[in-house]
Amino acid sequence: MSDEQAKPRPTPKANKFVDTEAFWQGTRDGELLLQYCPDTQRFQHYPRPISLYTGKRNLEWRKVAGTGTVYACTIVRVPGSGLEGRLPLSVVTVELDEGVRILGNVLNLEPDQVAIGQRVKLAWDAVNDETAYPAFNVVEA
Amino acid sequence: MPEQNLVIAGYSETAVEFRSGRSAYDFAGEAFAALLQTTGVEKDMVDGLSVTVPLSECANPFFAVYMTEALGLSPTWLNYGGMGGCSATGGVARAMAAIREGQCEIAVVLSADAPSTNWGANYGAWRGEFQDPVGVLGPPSAFGLLMSRYEHQYGLNYEALAKIAIAQREGGLMNDNAFEKLKKPLTVEDYMNSRMIADPLRLLDCVMFCDGGNAFLVTNEAKARELGIEKMVRPTAYAEVTNFKGSDPVADITETGFSVLAPKVFGKSGLKPGDIGSFQPYDDFTIAVMMQMEDFGFCEKGKGSDYVMATDLSCQGDLPLNTGGGQLSAGQPGLASGGLNLAEAVRQMFGEAGQRQVANTQNALVTGIGVIPYARNWGTSTAMILEA
Repeated sequence: MSDEQAKPRPTPKANKFVDTEAFWQGTRDGELLLQYCPDTQRFQHYPRPISLYTGKRNLEWRKVAGTGTVYACTIVRVPGSGLEGRLPLSVVTVELDEGVRILGNVLNLEPDQVAIGQRVKLAWDAVNDETAYPAFNVVEA
Repeated sequence: MPEQNLVIAGYSETAVEFRSGRSAYDFAGEAFAALLQTTGVEKDMVDGLSVTVPLSECANPFFAVYMTEALGLSPTWLNYGGMGGCSATGGVARAMAAIREGQCEIAVVLSADAPSTNWGANYGAWRGEFQDPVGVLGPPSAFGLLMSRYEHQYGLNYEALAKIAIAQREGGLMNDNAFEKLKKPLTVEDYMNSRMIADPLRLLDCVMFCDGGNAFLVTNEAKARELGIEKMVRPTAYAEVTNFKGSDPVADITETGFSVLAPKVFGKSGLKPGDIGSFQPYDDFTIAVMMQMEDFGFCEKGKGSDYVMATDLSCQGDLPLNTGGGQLSAGQPGLASGGLNLAEAVRQMFGEAGQRQVANTQNALVTGIGVIPYARNWGTSTAMILEA
């Protein structure tokens, strides 16, 4: 068996931690929905069982613009589950304009061209034929 | 209850092995038996036990209780520490609190793990939905992100990270317990040429998961003396924090929990950074060592590279650093990791470090780091000052 052959990536299982149905519906609609605390008007990510800001379960899901800035970046070079055929892989922490950070991959640049401070916008990474996962493209200045 | 002078009155440590084929129980038994032998304590006198949750056996929620059976102990205080690399220092602090509370009198803080033989962990939680899909599968990629941010804000001289790796390797070469395959001298070229794992993180910035164990005897000084024990150290200051700034989604990730622990432990002990006899910081990655040098005030925030380049970090140097090689050069015995740094601190203060013995055995500063969170630095930070 050759490791060169990229196996189809499995679809992540929803609702394993908290109710994430809205996030996954968003991926099917081409929208990034994140958990939102209406009491403080702040987003949080990854989703939690309560608001990080109030300790209450008053939470909803809201669409974010999908624009932000690269806060940290690395290039993953070591193999691992789900990484077959994807290396070297650009991994970034993006600070979204709504004031929350999210991990993602940059799709439209060679990994060594990605840098902190670059502006990015939402893109979609095809996990397999059924599933797209939120990712980013660097926006040319 | 009269004020008790609580001490670490003994330590033991197994050799670090890779794919040993042995279990955490077996390493724990080896460390425990050695502790009884070096301290002269009878097994049945041990009435308190703190056990570290090991990667290799964590599928068993009753591991700590199983351990009491394995060792034939009937403790009146049992702690099961799940703070990863903070479980050893944290276990000592919890044992001290239990002794003060009268729940036990002679406690053993026992950490053993064998993840290179048997990986038993599945972190679950959010990772399958929000971390694994982007390829952040383990600590190296998380630390690649952290390093990139540190470099962006402060600049990073890779030769300084090489110097940390090399200084620790010199100690590892003199450590009989260090993993045999890591016992080769290192050069700056070796470091620079080591392959990129998660840019800018290189292979020689990283620990290697191994197997091993360690144990510490915690009691009060009077009891230790009654038992004929002469060598002991006093943990005079301890502080920990978990999920530092955890509710701030845009916190500066180069700011760590140690920034709040440092003033606490220096304040409580009355020591200053310049007084520290040996510095035994948790060293899963070289950048974590440098960031701790800054947080503990050996240099200003962001000046770690310059400080390292200007400082002799050898066991005879200005700041003896992880004098037994640390985890980077002895190997990381799974989540028994934190006990490796602690054992070296106690060993140095007992004057038992042989060729790598430091001159100032009056104190040591030991730290722990536990757990890698989502897109930040680390979960738990612990700091402990030991004094003669």
